[in-house]
Amino acid sequence: MPKTTLHFEKVRRRFGRLSVLQGVTGTVTPGEALLVTGPNGSGKSTLLRCLAGVLAPDGGQIAYREGERDLDIGERRLRVGYVAPDLAFYSELTVAENLQFFARLRRVSPDRGFAILDRLALPTDRMAGTLSSGMRQRLRWAWALLHRPRLLLLDEPFQNLDAPGEEGTRELLREHLESTPGGLAVIANPSSLEIDRVTARLDLGR
Amino acid sequence: MSPLASTWAAEALAVFAKEWRCELRTRIALNTLGLFAVTTLVVAGVSLGPLGVAKAQGSALLPVLLWLILLFSVAAGLPRAFVQEEETQTATALRLCATPSALFCGKLLYALTLVAGLEVLITPLYVMIMNLQVARPGLLAAALAAGGFGLAAGSTLVAAIIAQARSKGTLFSVLSFPILLPLLILAVELTRNAVVGDPPGMALPQLLLYDASVSIFGLMLFPVVWNP
Repeated sequence: MPKTTLHFEKVRRRFGRLSVLQGVTGTVTPGEALLVTGPNGSGKSTLLRCLAGVLAPDGGQIAYREGERDLDIGERRLRVGYVAPDLAFYSELTVAENLQFFARLRRVSPDRGFAILDRLALPTDRMAGTLSSGMRQRLRWAWALLHRPRLLLLDEPFQNLDAPGEEGTRELLREHLESTPGGLAVIANPSSLEIDRVTARLDLGR
Repeated sequence: MSPLASTWAAEALAVFAKEWRCELRTRIALNTLGLFAVTTLVVAGVSLGPLGVAKAQGSALLPVLLWLILLFSVAAGLPRAFVQEEETQTATALRLCATPSALFCGKLLYALTLVAGLEVLITPLYVMIMNLQVARPGLLAAALAAGGFGLAAGSTLVAAIIAQARSKGTLFSVLSFPILLPLLILAVELTRNAVVGDPPGMALPQLLLYDASVSIFGLMLFPVVWNP
C-alpha cells in the first residue's frame, strides 16, 4: 500500500487576540479516519483549513507524506480533497460547467465527478446558484473527489443532506478509506459521528 | 511545446474562458466599464466638444483626458476580478486547484481583452466627438496597445493584492497611484506625439519596459499574496 501519512504537531492559530488552536497534535495513516469534535468555536474548521493549506498556522508542524516524500504546503494544497460549509462554486455556471472548469485546473477528466453526481442524484444542468443547501453539499463531495485524492478533509460532511444524500456520501467515504490506495481522512463535526474506520478521536472541546 | 507548458497554458486558458463565460452571463464588468466610459466621454464631449478646445491646446489636453477616461473606467470595473472571488467564497476552491501563475495569467488575459474592447469602443468615439486630428494613427494604436496592457497588468496586480484586505476601495486607490502613474505619463506622452506627428522617442520603449516589468513582478508577487 502506498505510504501516506498525515502528522500534525502542536498546531497553533490565533485570530487577533483570540487563540483558536492551542497546540493540537494528531496522526492519520492509510485506511484510517481521525474524527475531530468540539463545540462551535473550538477550532475544528480552523484545524482543517490549516491541514488543507489554505490557512497558515502560527506555530507547530504539519507533515503530509505521499510515497517517499513529504509534500510542501503548495503541493499539499493541490492534492487534498476538501469539503467544508464555506466552499462555494460559481453561481453563474451550471454544475457541469463548474466541474469541468475545476477538472481542467486539476488537469484531470471530469468523468469521476460526473459519476459521483450521478450516484448522488444531482442534475448537472442546474445553475449552481439555484442549488439548495443539500445539493451544494453533494456538489462539494463530487468536487472534492474529482482528482482521486488520498487525503480527504471533511468539515461537517453530512450537513444539510437528506437521508439518501447522507447514505450516498457515507458510502463514498467508506470506499475512499477501503479502496483508494493510501486513502485517509480527517473529519470535523460538532458532535460524534458513527463512521466505520474511525481509529482516533480528537476532542477540541473546552 | 513541452507537456508541462501545454498543461499550464491550458489552465490559464480555462481561467480566461471561465471569466468570460461568467461575465457574458452577468455583464457586471462590461456594464460598469462601458457605462462609466461612455458617460465621461459624453460629459467631456458636451463640455469641451469639437469647438470647445483650441487646436493648440487640444494636442496638450485631449490625450490626457483620453487616458483619464480609460483609467477611471478600468478602475471602476477591473478590481472585481479577484475581489469577487473572495466575496463569493470561490477563492478557497481556486486556491486548492489552480497553479497561482496560471490563475494570474488567465485573469490578466481577461483584463487585457476587457481593456482592448474598451479602447476599441471609446477611442474612435473620442476622436470623432473631440474632432481630434491624429497625425500618426499607427503610433496612437501602439500607445493604446502598450498603455492598455500596462493598465490591465497593473490593475490586475493591485486587485490581487487588495482582494483579501478590508478597505479595498481605499487601498486600491493608494496602491494604484504609484504603480500606474509612470504608465500614464508615458502613455500620455506617446499619445501626444501621435497627435502632433512627432516620433515616439524613448516613450515607447520605456512603456514596453514598464509593461514587461509589471507583468514579471505580478507573476512573482502573486503566489505570495494569493496563498497563506
